[in-house]
Amino acid sequence: MSEYLSVLIFAVTGAAIVLFTFFISKLIRPHNPYPEKGVTYECAEDAIGDSWIRFNPRFYIFALIFVIFDVEVIFLFPWAVAFGELGLFALVEMVIFILILFFGLFYAWKKGVLKWV
Amino acid sequence: MEFQLPEINLQLMAPEIFLFLWALAVMAFDVTTKRKSSSTAGNLALVGLAVTGVIMVFTDQGRGFGNMFFNDSMAVFFKVIFLAAAFMAIGSSFGLTHTRILNHRGEYFGLILLSTVGMMFLASSSELISLYIGLELTTIPLFVLAAFFKDDRKSVEAGIKYLVVGAFSSALLLYGLSFIYGLTGTTDIAQIRSILAHSAVAGFNPAYQESTPIMVMAVLAILGGIGFKLALPPFHQWVPDVYEGAPTPITAFLSVGSKAAGLVAFAKIMIMGLYDLYDPSKAPNDWGILVGVMAAAAMIVGNVLAIRQTNIKRMLAYSSIAHAGYVMVGMLALNSLGLASVGYYMFAYLFTNMGAFAIVALIEDRTGSCEIASYAGLSKTSPFLAISMTIFLLSLTGIPPLAGFFGKFYVFAAAIKMAETGSGLTWIYWLVGVGLVTSVFALYYYANVMRTMYFVETDSPLKVTMSPMAVAVIVIGVVGVVVFGLNPQPIVQFASDMPAALGALLP
Amino acid sequence: MVPISAYLILAAVLFGIGTVGVLISRNVIVMFMSIELMLNAANMVLIAFSRALSIADGHVIVFLVLTVAAAEAAVGLGLIIMIYRNRATINIDRFSLLKW
Repeated sequence: MSEYLSVLIFAVTGAAIVLFTFFISKLIRPHNPYPEKGVTYECAEDAIGDSWIRFNPRFYIFALIFVIFDVEVIFLFPWAVAFGELGLFALVEMVIFILILFFGLFYAWKKGVLKWV
Repeated sequence: MEFQLPEINLQLMAPEIFLFLWALAVMAFDVTTKRKSSSTAGNLALVGLAVTGVIMVFTDQGRGFGNMFFNDSMAVFFKVIFLAAAFMAIGSSFGLTHTRILNHRGEYFGLILLSTVGMMFLASSSELISLYIGLELTTIPLFVLAAFFKDDRKSVEAGIKYLVVGAFSSALLLYGLSFIYGLTGTTDIAQIRSILAHSAVAGFNPAYQESTPIMVMAVLAILGGIGFKLALPPFHQWVPDVYEGAPTPITAFLSVGSKAAGLVAFAKIMIMGLYDLYDPSKAPNDWGILVGVMAAAAMIVGNVLAIRQTNIKRMLAYSSIAHAGYVMVGMLALNSLGLASVGYYMFAYLFTNMGAFAIVALIEDRTGSCEIASYAGLSKTSPFLAISMTIFLLSLTGIPPLAGFFGKFYVFAAAIKMAETGSGLTWIYWLVGVGLVTSVFALYYYANVMRTMYFVETDSPLKVTMSPMAVAVIVIGVVGVVVFGLNPQPIVQFASDMPAALGALLP
Repeated sequence: MVPISAYLILAAVLFGIGTVGVLISRNVIVMFMSIELMLNAANMVLIAFSRALSIADGHVIVFLVLTVAAAEAAVGLGLIIMIYRNRATINIDRFSLLKW
């Protein structure tokens, strides 16, 4: 139990130090807000337009489909390196793996995700 | 380099492979056909679950896949619970697929099946890698399912909260597991246990002499991760929100299937793997009392906060937190009765909770409301629903001779038996005491629902038309609660095979 | 050779940054990025131990964790787009229909 106690003491001390620093800086910092301080600027210029512009959400959907095939490579690469020793069984296994991934693509296709309207 | 392929025993994994392919087939069916009949996808999913159950009867027990997959009696027991939970969840969603889920039925049922596959893998994993993958395959489909009503703000909000909490907790769990791997040098749970048992002081690898504090951190991270999944305080805040917002059958599936999956993960990691850190005399880092405190907090928080809920889904959410606390009491009793009592408890909870949520789903389809007040006058218009609901609520309270009573009874009996064995274990008596006292609170809020159904007069009583599948689910629930309450012996027998799976571990 | 404790400390720092990010961030996407940071901290620990012990299991876990993280990110981004359409915000404070 004493082990847990030391963890607890660490946590409490850590939190206390942070709170203490906030308190100290609150005490000694000057408090002088004026309007120019709140102005947004980019590279010392006044900002033009809104920084929140909309991207077409289709970009996200394509990116998500890309993720399927991106991650596939993680498994393909070690398999390819060791292919000589692994032989036929691993080939069959990898074909099954890729078929399952293709099911995902087939599904997206059928849902009409791949059409750029 | 010599590569040696592990022995592949596909027959061991046949139920999981079948169910996985079936889930893909259900989705493919839905996208390729033009939705001729609204319930075909759901019926297909039910057939798939039934066939998986049949395949499981013919599947051997044993190890395979280089010791990563171990189909022992504990795995079989929990797989039955998972399959039944999925079956009842799908059975009670037919109302939804007629009214609200019009475009994505295949995904809905397919994702439930995929989540079930994840739970089954989890139950069979004997090793950290497959355990982690199983856990993720369980939860990721549930994120989507919780947010399944795309236009319902509450549902989407529930989904995103569940996603953040779920991803956070699995990261926490993984961080803990990575240290366990580092300190023991293996991912096999049985080997982890023997390494921890045989090093001079439990909790460090001789190669890293200073690592006991790291072990403490690892145990804390793992407890945090699993605590989130099991909704043990202080990691319980997400539960009421997610349960309220998610579609009702999914809430039911979360409360039974996902909870049982968390219990399996706990049993695998903490009890099978880190058993030797439990005994206060053996190690400086005893996690038992910490889990005990969390379980006590769960019983108190769940039962007290449930009292002031007006939404029945929220009330059942808090009650599920409390039930997680009761189950953990049995889990902490590491004797031969302990795990068996947990198994029996989950079995009783399966029938009770799935049945109760099936009724909630029926009434929500009808009225669009989950307020307890809208249950007024149910006994007049639909005596069948009122009586079934009463049976489920009494079982949740733990009134004999229903199944819920024996669940609590075995859990507490196992804990007391454990407390008698060791001098450092008197805190277990306190835990049992907390459990007994909080059960009284539970009676209060469950009785409130019964009072509303039977004695509150209303001008506009509910009229409920019932789909045959929903009635079937409710009947299964009632029969399960009553039959296994009157005659708990078969399930106890089935469940008491489980400790044998832990080998010589238990006294 | 760099001692293993260096890797572990780096991983702990990453994990801490991730945890704090999840707990104090208001933006769901930032929370998500912080969770990825936590997962990568765990990966770091696995790789470091795997190399120090010369057991390859750790590398295998990392592959699988990366895959799982990608799946989680895919689902997460999908849900975030959905909630943005619903609410026109991804500020977690605004998601208060259900009392948090």
